[in-house]
Amino acid sequence: MDERLQAYLDGEISLAELPPELRERAGEWDRLVNRLRAAGPAGAPLGLERRILEAVTPPRRRPGWLDWLLRPRQVRISPLAAVAAAALVLAVAVRPWSGGGPVGGDAEVAGHVYVQFTVEAPGAASVHLAGDFSDWQPGVALADPDGDGVWTGRAALEPGVHEYMFVLDGTEWMPDPNASTFTDDGFGQRNSVVAVAPLNGT
Amino acid sequence: MQRTDAELVRDILEGREPAFAELVRRYQDLLYRHAVRMTGAADEAEDVVQAAFVKAYRGLARCEDPERVGSWLFRIGANACKDHLKARRRRRTTPLEDVPEVPSGGDGAAGEAERADLRRALDGALGGLSDERREAFVLKHVEGLSYEEMAELLEASVPALKMRVHRAREELQGLLDGKV
Repeated sequence: MDERLQAYLDGEISLAELPPELRERAGEWDRLVNRLRAAGPAGAPLGLERRILEAVTPPRRRPGWLDWLLRPRQVRISPLAAVAAAALVLAVAVRPWSGGGPVGGDAEVAGHVYVQFTVEAPGAASVHLAGDFSDWQPGVALADPDGDGVWTGRAALEPGVHEYMFVLDGTEWMPDPNASTFTDDGFGQRNSVVAVAPLNGT
Repeated sequence: MQRTDAELVRDILEGREPAFAELVRRYQDLLYRHAVRMTGAADEAEDVVQAAFVKAYRGLARCEDPERVGSWLFRIGANACKDHLKARRRRRTTPLEDVPEVPSGGDGAAGEAERADLRRALDGALGGLSDERREAFVLKHVEGLSYEEMAELLEASVPALKMRVHRAREELQGLLDGKV
């Protein structure tokens, strides 16, 4: 295509500056562009705004059996059962922590696997976990009980591959530096990736 | 007085939901028009725009320049279009000219058949361009943006965008020869 015609279509020169033999072609392009504009929609259809708002506001759900399991309640327990429970807790707690990224497989509840997350964030007032499993809302709060800047917390995740980040002080998002895998988050940063295997290996 | 984009972003992050509705109203037309032009299908464009706004809502805390949240939203929408087209190509090989026609909101019955023919020809020709060239051509000639505005939206250089538009025109000239 003639460079002068390109310059006209780019708005760099006027129609009068084109040689006569190119003006007809320029007029054809103007008509084409006008038709192209006229053929499309002027704006978003009615109802799209409602669809979007509904999509970002999850419907309230009725409490299910998982809520029943997770709701704290007082229980009465015999001394013998207490000893057995303590032994079980001890057996789980003494397992060595390997370090480097989240650690999974402590327990499985209703198809979910508890995964332990650890991050160094000295100076943070709060650290939360957010990921595809929480619709990217800051969910599980990590704790730093001894104040050494190392925050830990556990989340019950479904087996599969999950993307996640840590949210520091409710505003600062950071990937897990200990994660072994990362993926582009589409916002110029990286999400950490954790693969959760079912405990029974199936 | 209308809130600025930065004020809207702040209000959304502080949990005031109506602010997000206002942000949607402010930018849905731009994203939708672009998505229709890129996908060639109104229903797919709605899905793409919805997904883009949901992604933006969830990642809003990561918008580094709230004053220019519109550009940031557009980039998310434009990337969503390209991701959608890639996924569609993997699923099937339907050429763009075969997807349902985009409603024009017509202006009467006279000449409607002729306009429909032209629309199909234009959509088919646009569908023959690469995603990048179609994107640049649509922004330049349908949205009427300057190269500088396009550069900000697409995070590309002005010379690179000029090259894409020039190549798109040359391709379209060949594809539409005799139809316009």
